[in-house]
Amino acid sequence: MAEQEHSHPPYILIWVVLLVLTLAEVAMSLYMTNVSKVVLAVGLIFMAVWKAALVAMYYMHLRYEPARLWILAISPIPLAFILVLAVISEF
Amino acid sequence: MSNAAVATMDRKPMPGMMVYNKKLGMWVFLLSEVMFFTSLIGSYVILRFAHPDHWTEVGTVLNVQLTALNTFFLICSSVTMVKAFAAIQAGDQKGLQRWLLATILIGATFVGIQVVEYMALSGEGFVPMLDSYHAVGRGNPHEGPSLGGPLYGATFYAMTGFHGAHVSIGVLCLIFVYIQSLRGVYTVQDHEGVEVIGLYWHFVDLVWIFLFTIVYLI
Amino acid sequence: MSTTTATETHAGTAEHHELGFIRKYIFSTDHKMIARQFLFSALMFLLLGGLLAVMVRWQLGFPGRPLPAFIRWIFPDTMAPGGIILPEFYNSLVTMHATFMVFFALMPLMAGVFGNLLIPLQIGAEDMAFPRINMASFWIMPVAGFIMLASFFVEGGAAGAGWTSYAPLSSSGEWTGVYMGQILWLVSLIVLGFSSILGALNYVTTVINMRAPGMTWFRIPLGTWSLFITAWLLLLAIPILTGGLILLLFDQTIGTAFFRPEGSGEPLLWQHIFWFFGHPEVYILILPAMGFVSEVIACRSRKPIFGYHSMVIALVSIAFLSWVVWGHHMFQSGMNPLLGMTFVVTTVVIAVPSAIKVFNWIGTLWRGDIHFDAPLLHAVAFVSLFIIGGLSGMFMAAAPVDIYIHDTYFIVAHLHYVLVGGSLFGIFAGIIFWYPKMFGRMMNEGLGKVHFFLSFLFYNMAFFPMHNLGVQGMMRRIYDPNQYEFLQGLQPLNTFISISIFLFAFTQIIFAFNFLWSLRYGKVAGSNPWKSNTLLWTTPSPPPHGNFPEMPTVYRGPYEYSHPDVEEDFWPQNVPPAKSEAGGQTAAAPTPEPVPGD
Repeated sequence: MAEQEHSHPPYILIWVVLLVLTLAEVAMSLYMTNVSKVVLAVGLIFMAVWKAALVAMYYMHLRYEPARLWILAISPIPLAFILVLAVISEF
Repeated sequence: MSNAAVATMDRKPMPGMMVYNKKLGMWVFLLSEVMFFTSLIGSYVILRFAHPDHWTEVGTVLNVQLTALNTFFLICSSVTMVKAFAAIQAGDQKGLQRWLLATILIGATFVGIQVVEYMALSGEGFVPMLDSYHAVGRGNPHEGPSLGGPLYGATFYAMTGFHGAHVSIGVLCLIFVYIQSLRGVYTVQDHEGVEVIGLYWHFVDLVWIFLFTIVYLI
Repeated sequence: MSTTTATETHAGTAEHHELGFIRKYIFSTDHKMIARQFLFSALMFLLLGGLLAVMVRWQLGFPGRPLPAFIRWIFPDTMAPGGIILPEFYNSLVTMHATFMVFFALMPLMAGVFGNLLIPLQIGAEDMAFPRINMASFWIMPVAGFIMLASFFVEGGAAGAGWTSYAPLSSSGEWTGVYMGQILWLVSLIVLGFSSILGALNYVTTVINMRAPGMTWFRIPLGTWSLFITAWLLLLAIPILTGGLILLLFDQTIGTAFFRPEGSGEPLLWQHIFWFFGHPEVYILILPAMGFVSEVIACRSRKPIFGYHSMVIALVSIAFLSWVVWGHHMFQSGMNPLLGMTFVVTTVVIAVPSAIKVFNWIGTLWRGDIHFDAPLLHAVAFVSLFIIGGLSGMFMAAAPVDIYIHDTYFIVAHLHYVLVGGSLFGIFAGIIFWYPKMFGRMMNEGLGKVHFFLSFLFYNMAFFPMHNLGVQGMMRRIYDPNQYEFLQGLQPLNTFISISIFLFAFTQIIFAFNFLWSLRYGKVAGSNPWKSNTLLWTTPSPPPHGNFPEMPTVYRGPYEYSHPDVEEDFWPQNVPPAKSEAGGQTAAAPTPEPVPGD
């Protein structure tokens, strides 16, 4: 309850960054047709992860929560990787 | 823990996660949602690796521009949600109500646009089922060749459909919270309900951030 | 009557008004009542699952013979014309036997009953973190169960593609003859998943946030630890299954081709999704039983659990490793051999923490003052039968060996040793041990021992020979092994097994009678009939709403049995350390006294 003694995170600033990243993603995807698919995919996913991290850290307040909470929050991510990477090796 | 230390705890439970129950419960629930979307999105990634020929060039079948706009809307709704939370933190009841209403309207708009998108896509033959898949692509004549394959349609509708369902449920929950806010249920001291629906809403936005990228842009 | 869950300092019986019948017994939010509701429902489904197994064994033991007249009339011609079980119906029988047992008997018994009963009481909480979600979690189960039961009555009958429902066999009714039944199977399990997820998030939140003061992580009893770890597995594994079920449902209903080869779908994807859930699932089915066994063995040997810390670490390790072994169910699927080899290694590794637990149970029993009562007997049986099940697992972990024994009765033997010999005996131990706390009376000890010895005997007579059947090549789920000449010689063994199963089934009548009779006529139990240490046993039997008059304080771990500093051979967790008489409510010893370990 009395956890939010800090001043507010810069919500609007984060919003602007999210928009810029989104536009960058769309531009990259639609107009950078000369780069290889792999580079494109890596770049886009990197930007997506960056956006997701901003939402999680600032809008979902993880940056200001006790460390144990964000450790809990990221715990399923390795499982997702394990499943997908293992099965992709089949093909 | 020494018994002297225990003596000072005065009948309060152990600190645990150091956040209140509803918040911890919502985070834990969201972890299960991560796994749910993992199975759907993971299946998409795997099937695309196995049969890349079912997919087409970016933008040939799916409407990237419209969905980019929709993405913008959803991100805006996250901002309005967080403004609603900030409002009740400061005790601003009217602000809470207004920002909640804004979030609801934008969320509903997102779903609406997606429905319109679905109708257009299926009109162009982009459907999930095997037998009737014949996607002619955007702006192409109806008798054109079929672009991509049915796995494209099946995975698209499964992922975005369930995301849309989650958004819709979120909107319904937000309406409930909005009604509660009109009755003055939330205060500066106790606004847990607002925070936890906020967490759910941001999560839905977060999933969309990934979906938009890997479904529409790659 | 809103229970404010926000601030936890309020404890105890806040409600003084009488709840009506509906609110008290039907739509209860009290974790103890919900535990009872789960118990009665799950035992009914256990009975159903058992009857389905008896029918399977009838066919295998007496192939082609009509069912006895007194039950023949139940089955229409689509299932058993003239009492002779049809092959299609047999497929449904094996599928539904496993489905009901895994999803509607074992999971509710493990997590639903004991999660609800043990967690709040063992950690000193007044109820779960979210009592209404708890209630919802229960009520979803009978809804799902009804859908599953309904599948028997639709055209084409109940699902017949195995409980693993492999595509493409399951994605269309072309080969099994089952259409609607398969759809209802999927819908039922999708619905049931919500029950598990809601329950799991409740358990996790409660254990993390609602422990009584002094109950550090390493003072939590192993019963709660095992359920806490199980809740994490449920939380993260069930949604994976739900996703897969949904995709399969789409294949069946709207004609997508996620898993159908004719549409470039991948049957192997289904197997990977299913077993990525399926392996953590089997640990969900055994870990709570391990927790019960730890509680019972320590208490009835009057000794601390040997290696409490390593028991916890073993539970956590098993949970972590359970995510990376799933491929061992798929060695024969045509999977990438390099990937398969990885799974061999991880599967062998996961045997280590399980073995550590076995050694620790034996270490606990070693030179203990053992009371050979019914709970202890079942717990020791768990250990011995789990060892056998685990050892057969080692054979299967080696992919080259698995080439021969995969999908044979060797696997059936293994899974029943761990699920019946392990889980079910563990559940019996738990039910008998915690019955007094649930119902205020003891179960009859004499009947308990008779039930135990006969069950143990008939169980092994039935399932041990299955190892032989498997090694000699009898495949699973087969309707008529005699169609193969090389299996015809196994018929006498199959008949022997079937008769043993029937005897095992009849023996359970003793348990059922004991359970029901003791509700009314069992010896009235005090608060701590087994002289155990956990907070649960400090409450009346059964505990009142709110459990504890005020939140208890914990001063030590749960396994201080036969401690040299104390006269009694047990030392409850909430007794203040001042070793003298007044073991009362005095909150603290103001003068720092040397405390025996922490």
